Amino acid sequence: MSTAATAKGRIRIYLTGVGGQGTLTATTLLARTALDQGLEVTSGEIHGMAQRGGVVESTILLGGWMSPKIGHGEADLILGFEPLETLRGMTHLAAGGSVLSNTEPLPPVGVSTGREAYPEMERIRAKVEGCAAKSWFLPCRTLGLQAGSVQAGNSVLLGAACATGLLPFGPEALEAAIRVHLAPKLMDMNLRAVELGVRAVASAS
Amino acid sequence: MSESTANLAPRPVNPLLADEPGARRLLLGNEAIVRGALEAGVNLVVCYPGTPSSEVPDTFRRIGGGGRYRLEYSVNEKVAMEVGAGASLAGALTLVTMKHVGVNVAADPLLTMTYTGLPGGLVLLSADDPGCHASQNEQDNRTYARFAGMPCFEPATAQEAKDMTRDALLLARELEQPVLLRTTTRVNHLRGAVEYGPLGQAAPIVPFQRNPRRFVPVPAVARVRHAELVRHLGTAREKAEHSPWNTVRGDGRFGVIASGISRAYLSDALHETGWADRVKVLDLGMTWPLPEDLLTDFLSECDAVLVLEELEPLLENDVRALVQRKGLSVAVSGKGGALTIYGEYSTQTVTQALADLLGETARLPMACDPETALPVRPPNLCPGCSHRALYYAVRKVFGDDAVYSSDIGCYTLGLLPPLRMADFLFCMGSSVSSGSGFATASGKPTLAFIGDSTFFHSGITGLVNAVFNKHDLIVVVLDNGTTAMTGHQPNPGVIQEVLGNACVHLDIEAVVRGCGVADVVKVRPFNVKSTMKALAEMKERSGVRVIIAEEPCVLYARRTLKKPRNQVAYVAEQGPGVVDCLENLACPAFFRDDTGIHVDENLCGGCMVCLQVADTIKARKRSDA
Repeated sequence: MSTAATAKGRIRIYLTGVGGQGTLTATTLLARTALDQGLEVTSGEIHGMAQRGGVVESTILLGGWMSPKIGHGEADLILGFEPLETLRGMTHLAAGGSVLSNTEPLPPVGVSTGREAYPEMERIRAKVEGCAAKSWFLPCRTLGLQAGSVQAGNSVLLGAACATGLLPFGPEALEAAIRVHLAPKLMDMNLRAVELGVRAVASAS
Repeated sequence: MSESTANLAPRPVNPLLADEPGARRLLLGNEAIVRGALEAGVNLVVCYPGTPSSEVPDTFRRIGGGGRYRLEYSVNEKVAMEVGAGASLAGALTLVTMKHVGVNVAADPLLTMTYTGLPGGLVLLSADDPGCHASQNEQDNRTYARFAGMPCFEPATAQEAKDMTRDALLLARELEQPVLLRTTTRVNHLRGAVEYGPLGQAAPIVPFQRNPRRFVPVPAVARVRHAELVRHLGTAREKAEHSPWNTVRGDGRFGVIASGISRAYLSDALHETGWADRVKVLDLGMTWPLPEDLLTDFLSECDAVLVLEELEPLLENDVRALVQRKGLSVAVSGKGGALTIYGEYSTQTVTQALADLLGETARLPMACDPETALPVRPPNLCPGCSHRALYYAVRKVFGDDAVYSSDIGCYTLGLLPPLRMADFLFCMGSSVSSGSGFATASGKPTLAFIGDSTFFHSGITGLVNAVFNKHDLIVVVLDNGTTAMTGHQPNPGVIQEVLGNACVHLDIEAVVRGCGVADVVKVRPFNVKSTMKALAEMKERSGVRVIIAEEPCVLYARRTLKKPRNQVAYVAEQGPGVVDCLENLACPAFFRDDTGIHVDENLCGGCMVCLQVADTIKARKRSDA
């Protein structure tokens, strides 16, 4: 986390993933968590053709930002819901910023057909560790399935982010928001997912 | 796109309809527009969907409203504009919504309804798209405020989106003149806290009073009404002079005039640089007519002024003209350098422009180097999409001999290799008429692809023209039964069971035949052999030929029609047909690994087209079915 940003409580979070993963639902949940905590929130999303498997970028800016946009070198925190998109999104990271990323790929069509190569996980880790002050890598799909579904992997990543201490609230705020804002049938699964994310961060440090 | 709210909890009363003044809710910009319209007492909402405007009508549809308002999905923007204008003549407070390019379609009625005025009040939401996030151009629709003569509001936050929508509607009713609410993608798709005002009641209907000398603009009336429009704009300018949306803050001899989302970039740039106390800022939220007195006062107190506006230098040129007219001595800067006429602005471009104004050096953030040669992730036709099946058959039959005239919809995504099913495209409905023109001049076999909603939008007139002028063209109506690209909104092609009681289904084949086309064939694209046969036969004929390719959108079939496909494909044995599927059908459910080519069951849409391409691909029951 860039110390200047934390000191002022003004934090910019860049979230990136793939259409159909549910990253916008996750973004909205985290933004509502922040609002429920009494923080100033601006959030944005760009998803022209999101349902068609394209890249989906979204943002959450806490502490009084007016613009919903995060440019290159401006994100205090990157949440990568898909490792290739984490790598692509690294230009958004601020000096001293941190990264949490899923490690389980969703190969784009060029990779599936063998025309292009998916970058090695080692290359992704090396890039992230070279740029970020702190970084965490989680098998979100696996942990999500452990909690009850692939989509719950998003709550694993959010839970992990809340457990790093980099946000102005902890996992309990996220859990409270899940109880208020998610459909009852999804609640338990997502609470389990948050717990798995929290544990993953605890065991990593 | 409703992905962002799909899994969030339903509430007994939709929060957008709650009468809780002072409540603070996190709203999407487009949801905030809905709330603002409700607070103003909107009676009627008319739209044609289009990103980034679609969530406005879709939210009105989702929350129901309990009889507070009526919602109509019109067949195109011109129709929406005219329905809205007629309703406003009859006294309804009306909101008409569309994306920026839709306003071109609606421009004809728009440029005359500002002459007649509309007693019930009408606001046009134009959702512009700087950066072309989901559009074929990035035209600046503030131009229409000037062109048609409409007061214009430009919100920059969710709160402003709510409040300005309310104020725009109230002003439209007060002036009896159409008002423009101009947003950009960043505003439509941001989320922020919105403090509610009172919900109030639906607005009273203003009784219609016949007055042909106002409402029938024959030349003698139009001449008088144009002068009347100029008078109305004078009244609106007085409003702009004192509008709470036009404010001055700060001190100093350096001024910044900002409008739209640029105000957000300016606000953040001033905070980050600490230069807030070195500039004086004029925030313009009601941006047309220009508050000339306010601007003159502001300009006369500055030595140098920077104008911040995305896209065209409209405000900048107006400011320059004002400086000249008032004989002021102030240096004006705007477009140039980082402030381009194309694309979006950002906090960093604005920081750079501020640095130039103040003679400072901008300290822009350091970023790590971009990774090169990463696999791209273009949006793609879904697994199980009927467009892919149809395109595969067309490529087999016509190959590179034919020319492909595309249109606006999911099927435009067929432009990517290996399908390569789009050679040119202009706008909604252009496939048929531009295809006609291309065929006439080139003599090449030409196929026009158009979706069901786009066909109703503006394909029909092109088809009538093609018949009338004896063009030589194959039109393929890709009828997937819904408006797929923008999120499954109703259109006249949607089946009656889904439309319910409010709308009536129209049969595309009957319309096509009614337009005078005799050579019409219906195919089911998931039957590859019969589709190819129909295409091959049509290839041998000439004149205007229409193929209606009928198969529901895979997402729509699953979610709305509740017809999931419980069979999935699997590769029983590797072979050349399997390679053909991967390389030429290019279904995203296929993948290659060390052991060969396979189908991802979770992605497979169950269309079974690949079984017809490769005899070593077999069907089995879906694991979780």
